[in-house]
Amino acid sequence: MKDKQFWLILGGITLAFLIYWFAGHPFFNANRIFMFVAIVAIGSTLLYNIRMAERGEEFYLRPIPGLKAVEEAVGRSTEMGKPVLFVPGIMDMDQVETVAGVIVLGHVSKMTARYETSLNVPVSRSIVMKAAREACRESYMLEGRPDMFNDDMVHYLTDDQFAYAAGVNGIMIREKPAACLYMGKFYAESLILAETGNSIGAIQIAGTASQAQIPFFVTACDYTLIGEEFFAASAYLSKKPELIGGVRGQDMVKVVVISVIILASVLRFLYETWDIGFDVIKLLTVQ
Amino acid sequence: MIWKRQIPIFIVAVVGAITLFGWFIDQPNIKSFVDDDATQWYDILASFAIILGALNLIKLQLQKVAKKKPGWPYSLVAIGGFIFAITAGFIVKGVDDSVAVWGAHVTTEGTVFKWMFDYMFTPLSATMFSLLAFFVASASYRAFRIRNFEATLLLVAGIIIMIGRVPIGSVISSWFIMYILVLALGIYVNSWKKDKMITFGVVGAGIAIVTIAGMLTGWPLDKPGIFYLPVIQEWIYYYPNVAGARAIMIGIGLGIFATSIRYILGIEKSYIGE
Amino acid sequence: MEALTKYILKIGQVDRRWIFLVLAIVVFIPILIPIGMPIRATDTTKVVYDAIENLPPNSKVLVSVEYSPSTKPENHPMTISILRHLFKNNHKVYVTCLWPDGQFMAQDALKQVAVEEFGKEYGEDYVFLGFRPGNEAVVKGIVSNIRKLYTVDVYQTKVDEIPLMKDVNKFSDFAFLFSASAGYPGTIEWVQYAADPTGVPMSSGVTSIQVNEVMPYVQSGQIIGVLAGMPGAAEYEALVGQKGFATSGMDAQSIAHLVIVLFIVLGNAAFFIERQRSRKY
Repeated sequence: MKDKQFWLILGGITLAFLIYWFAGHPFFNANRIFMFVAIVAIGSTLLYNIRMAERGEEFYLRPIPGLKAVEEAVGRSTEMGKPVLFVPGIMDMDQVETVAGVIVLGHVSKMTARYETSLNVPVSRSIVMKAAREACRESYMLEGRPDMFNDDMVHYLTDDQFAYAAGVNGIMIREKPAACLYMGKFYAESLILAETGNSIGAIQIAGTASQAQIPFFVTACDYTLIGEEFFAASAYLSKKPELIGGVRGQDMVKVVVISVIILASVLRFLYETWDIGFDVIKLLTVQ
Repeated sequence: MIWKRQIPIFIVAVVGAITLFGWFIDQPNIKSFVDDDATQWYDILASFAIILGALNLIKLQLQKVAKKKPGWPYSLVAIGGFIFAITAGFIVKGVDDSVAVWGAHVTTEGTVFKWMFDYMFTPLSATMFSLLAFFVASASYRAFRIRNFEATLLLVAGIIIMIGRVPIGSVISSWFIMYILVLALGIYVNSWKKDKMITFGVVGAGIAIVTIAGMLTGWPLDKPGIFYLPVIQEWIYYYPNVAGARAIMIGIGLGIFATSIRYILGIEKSYIGE
Repeated sequence: MEALTKYILKIGQVDRRWIFLVLAIVVFIPILIPIGMPIRATDTTKVVYDAIENLPPNSKVLVSVEYSPSTKPENHPMTISILRHLFKNNHKVYVTCLWPDGQFMAQDALKQVAVEEFGKEYGEDYVFLGFRPGNEAVVKGIVSNIRKLYTVDVYQTKVDEIPLMKDVNKFSDFAFLFSASAGYPGTIEWVQYAADPTGVPMSSGVTSIQVNEVMPYVQSGQIIGVLAGMPGAAEYEALVGQKGFATSGMDAQSIAHLVIVLFIVLGNAAFFIERQRSRKY
């Protein structure tokens, strides 16, 4: 209850919605009310924690070895005089993972600017190329090294999945980067990239929320950021309070989700076995 | 500056909020925007943006050829392939209009495009995908080591799935698996007790029990089901695997939601630079 | 014993190219000399077969093809077996594609099954609507208004002029959906935007890698069974009663899996011997 402004605004929005609801809720799809309430509740939890962090509250984040290793990887490349290869996935900017990958690229390019290491970012989509270029350009400017930035650092290969994998493999075999970072959305080409990176002796750090590819990265890479760890990467690398607050908010929501799962399982069991209560599945099913 | 900062953030906030909350609104125009138009606008943008990527690709490859950088002959192949694909797609059909009109020519037999797809693109794609078979073998060989309990569990589950999933798993009798388990038990007892007599006793008793049970039941291939590889692998797929997959999916879903909310509210701005 | 130990240690440090060579040989030989291992259909495959077998006569079935040549060995035999099953039972088949490459794959499958095997008539027994860009938007478009999305079919014929398209306006006009999928967009998008909200039953055939992602939906009943990779395709071929490429590939896959397990076991044996030696010294 510390953040009075937040509670006042949330209270106001709730009141306004209640008035709208009892006024007949025109144009509102009533079947989806549960999902609407869930979205507002989750969003509010995230915002509350973000505001708490901005006000100076300290939150503990457990160390993630993969993210600590990013700076080591860039340092290793600098010592060996080899480039850093960053692969932001094979999908376009409409995928959240690709945007998260471009954000991590921004942080990595700050490190490469600082240590004067060359950076190679082959991309699979044109819009990703433009976004990644902007992220790198800004990072190099912030580090006071705009002279080191070159547009061709971020270059387009092809849209096709396996042609892109072949192109990146070729870059790995020819240029032999000392560090390979795979951050984004991947499909079957993940193991092809990771195995080739392993064969050239590069340190490999992967981050993806593509569930089917996580085992391949875990097997072939030195460090893997699994699912949410990848989305939290920007918070870890930037150490910005608002992002760290968001991560804490996510964890609080997860506790609620676990509680709902347990409660729903018990209710379902009671309903199915002894006809007690109501069918909780109907309530939770998205229409 | 406003075009590079505030306007993009405003566009993300407005379109993101409409797309998110539009799903709850039963108004035809908003539904149409959320269901069809928003993604189609993106596809139109991406389709035009491909020109940027293509120009970048050609520029880099031409530079490599002009400056005779290492590997420049391969750049010639890349440029040649690019020109050939454009020609086959837009300029030379290879058949006249009575056989296939423009548009249908991509899938009609006899056209240059279909030839390119069948005899160049398909074998190349299949080749790259088939690399996975070899890489899975080398990655498994390197990574599947019994270092600790979890790694052992992973290894055993992996072997059960690999064998149980294919026809050879269904011809391996459950009794054979039971004999292997008896031997594994013997190894464990030996490492624990370090007494040959006890080990011999345990293994002997185990073998005797399995043999007598088998003789009494007539050695059915798939019974008891708990030791039949296809049954075990189905159970692993259906229960522990799905449990883990669901947990990761929920976590990923939350991560995507939190990240998207940060973009919509303008808290995360790194995708357009700091 | 010493010689065996040395040999195992050598295998533990073998160059991975030897593994590639051995694997290539063991995959190649069963293709040349088939062993003919029996195919036992799993429950997830049987459920798909039963779902299609129990469809009412002359059902309208939507088949969506979203895979490329790279996963053709896994997905294509599924598509062919499903089409065979559907045409054998005289159902009406509508084919769409969420991937551009899928259009080529669907074309090949329809040519082989509909035209050459069953002699079906285009426009009366099956319709090939083709690919439209837009990923999930295509699925949503099919759910709301298929004619807005598909004004012409793949041969540029107006959809209004195709007899089979009469009374087909949206997704819920179909009795069943089968998605042969290798990634995004694919099975999951069909479940989320089409099958689950409308209640139209669906099954899917996916690559082995994707089964993990799809299993939660199968377990919850949102997808009726799944054909899991080439083994799933081979099982379906056995159920339909017509062996194809998937069945012939099973011998090679079985031997390959055994060889990989053997390498893993030998690798671990070498690992243990090394560990014991380092403890000893």
